[in-house]
Amino acid sequence: MNKKKNLITILIAAVLVVIFALLLFTFQVRQSEVAVLTTFGKPAASNLDQPSLYFKWPWPIQQVYRFDQRVQNFEDKFSENYTADNTVLLTSVYVGWRISDAKEFFPKFAGGSVAAAQRQLEAMLRSAKAAVIAKHKLADFVNSDPAQLKFTAIEEEIKTAVQTELASHNYGISIDFLGVKKLGLPESVTQTVFDRMKSERTKYISEAQFNGEAAATKIRSAAERQAADLIANAQAAATRIEGAGVAEAAKTLGVFQQNPELAVFQLQLEALKTSMNQKTTLVFDERMTPFNLFQNWSATPSTK
Amino acid sequence: MSDHDHHAQPQPPETRDAGSQALAEALASSFVIVKFAMVALVVIIFAAGFFTVGLQEKAVILRFGKPQGEGQKMLLGAGLHWALPYPIDEVVRIPISEIQKVTSTIGWFLTTPEMELAGTEPPAGPSLNPQIDGYVLTADRNIIHTRATVSYHIDDPRTAIFNFTSGTNHSFNLAGVSNAVQNAANNALILTSARFNVDDILTRDIAGFQDAVRQHVSRLVENEKLGVTIDQVQVQSVAPRQLKDIFAQVSIARQNREKLITEAQSKENQILSEAGAQAASITNAAASASHRFVTSIQADAETFAQLLPQYQSNPKLYMQLELAKAMPQILANVEKNFMPAHADGKSTELRLLLNREPPQPRSAANP
Repeated sequence: MNKKKNLITILIAAVLVVIFALLLFTFQVRQSEVAVLTTFGKPAASNLDQPSLYFKWPWPIQQVYRFDQRVQNFEDKFSENYTADNTVLLTSVYVGWRISDAKEFFPKFAGGSVAAAQRQLEAMLRSAKAAVIAKHKLADFVNSDPAQLKFTAIEEEIKTAVQTELASHNYGISIDFLGVKKLGLPESVTQTVFDRMKSERTKYISEAQFNGEAAATKIRSAAERQAADLIANAQAAATRIEGAGVAEAAKTLGVFQQNPELAVFQLQLEALKTSMNQKTTLVFDERMTPFNLFQNWSATPSTK
Repeated sequence: MSDHDHHAQPQPPETRDAGSQALAEALASSFVIVKFAMVALVVIIFAAGFFTVGLQEKAVILRFGKPQGEGQKMLLGAGLHWALPYPIDEVVRIPISEIQKVTSTIGWFLTTPEMELAGTEPPAGPSLNPQIDGYVLTADRNIIHTRATVSYHIDDPRTAIFNFTSGTNHSFNLAGVSNAVQNAANNALILTSARFNVDDILTRDIAGFQDAVRQHVSRLVENEKLGVTIDQVQVQSVAPRQLKDIFAQVSIARQNREKLITEAQSKENQILSEAGAQAASITNAAASASHRFVTSIQADAETFAQLLPQYQSNPKLYMQLELAKAMPQILANVEKNFMPAHADGKSTELRLLLNREPPQPRSAANP
């Protein structure tokens, strides 16, 4: 009974001792971190950048320095630079940077201070921006022709310049990405831009008015000309059709030539029928056929 | 350990005197308390492994610093969870909302949420202060205001959470990634405006501009390996407040131009369809007249051919008969007046009253 009790006690005590030893002799590096182990103040040759459990001798023999190895965002001040064609351009860039080599990084910036590193970065950006922007004209920054627009190349040049500078000093910093965050003109220039925009707009207004009327007139007159053409063509076609009809009719004229007298008589008769069709008043002499029949029939004169 | 040693000493008692008995009992009971405390400690350590996750956050378990679970499974949602005690596991909580959305910070003039809601704008000065008022430059070197709202979702939590920080040391959140997306949106607005003309951005190709901004943001997000995917980008662009009126006048003038042209086009349609109809009626009339003429001549010819034998047998009689036959028909519609002949053979005077029928009065015939 007592022996079993002792065993449990020893086991529990052992667990506690292991936990205590674990705390004393090991340390963890998290996914987001990189650690440097120093032995009596001297940094080890390699960075501990993989998340895991590591062993160490307890303080004061070995000491752990941890750094965030995540990408940090840094934005520099909105600052003025001259372009190659002497335009003042204000730019601000954002930089995604991170500590890529902690053992190089932390002795160079007091205690591995991120703020100190960013001050250094800002100074580098300032000179890189001035150098790169001075090589380009304003047309390289804003241009409707994609072939002449060099904005992405300019960003790349600034990035390369800063990267070269960082590498030459071996700061243990790397730049993942860099882009222009803000682009502007000096305040006084915005006013002249507004004036220019205003006169451009005024030009567009009168252009639109003039163009509209001109285009409308053009459309209408074209339509009228086309309509006149259509009718003229139709009239020509009508004449051709009638001509064809006369030619067709002429083929049958031979029939009438067998006896022109009868033909003329028929035509006269037909003409008489049609002309008398309307309301007509005729005054006849009684002696005219067939009314001469009346004279012989009665002596009484007809007065109607 | 020392407890154990004390306990071992009184184990073989030679005499059962009251003093040593009392000591043994006291030691035994204190040992029970210590043992209980140790068990309780272990229980507490394991019980402490339970944790809850709220609705507005997710949790990730780091085992020896390494996130557990791959992809979306890494993120533990709302509910009760359990992890091993601290030196082994570490629970990190990440504030995360359902919808990830950021708005660009450049390109828009200084305004407040209250003004936005009320739909009012701050008064416009003659110029723009670059430190306060945001704007972008267009390809034709105009100044306009534009802003983008980007919606996105986290594709790869490991990258988004453990690769980006917003500077708050060693804490975990998505601020670093949302910052990066925001700057991608800012960059996209500047670079896309730089290759679009002002009228395309504002009126002619609003959708094209928005699409170009979206493509640019997506490309940046991919190149920067943020572990997020862009769902939607909404872009809003306006002319500077200083030039609002004149920009509006241009669009009115352009609308008027469109209206004039549309009117002219409908007039064109009208003129052409009328002309077409007229032309068709001219040719149709000609065709039918011609047809009528031809058929009537042919009919006459046929009649003529039929009558010719009769006529030839006695032309004079034939003519008399035909005339007599036609007379009733001719005279049916005619008002007839007869002039009786004078015995002396003198001509009779006839007077006609010509006011009865307006059209074409006929003159008097011979007596």
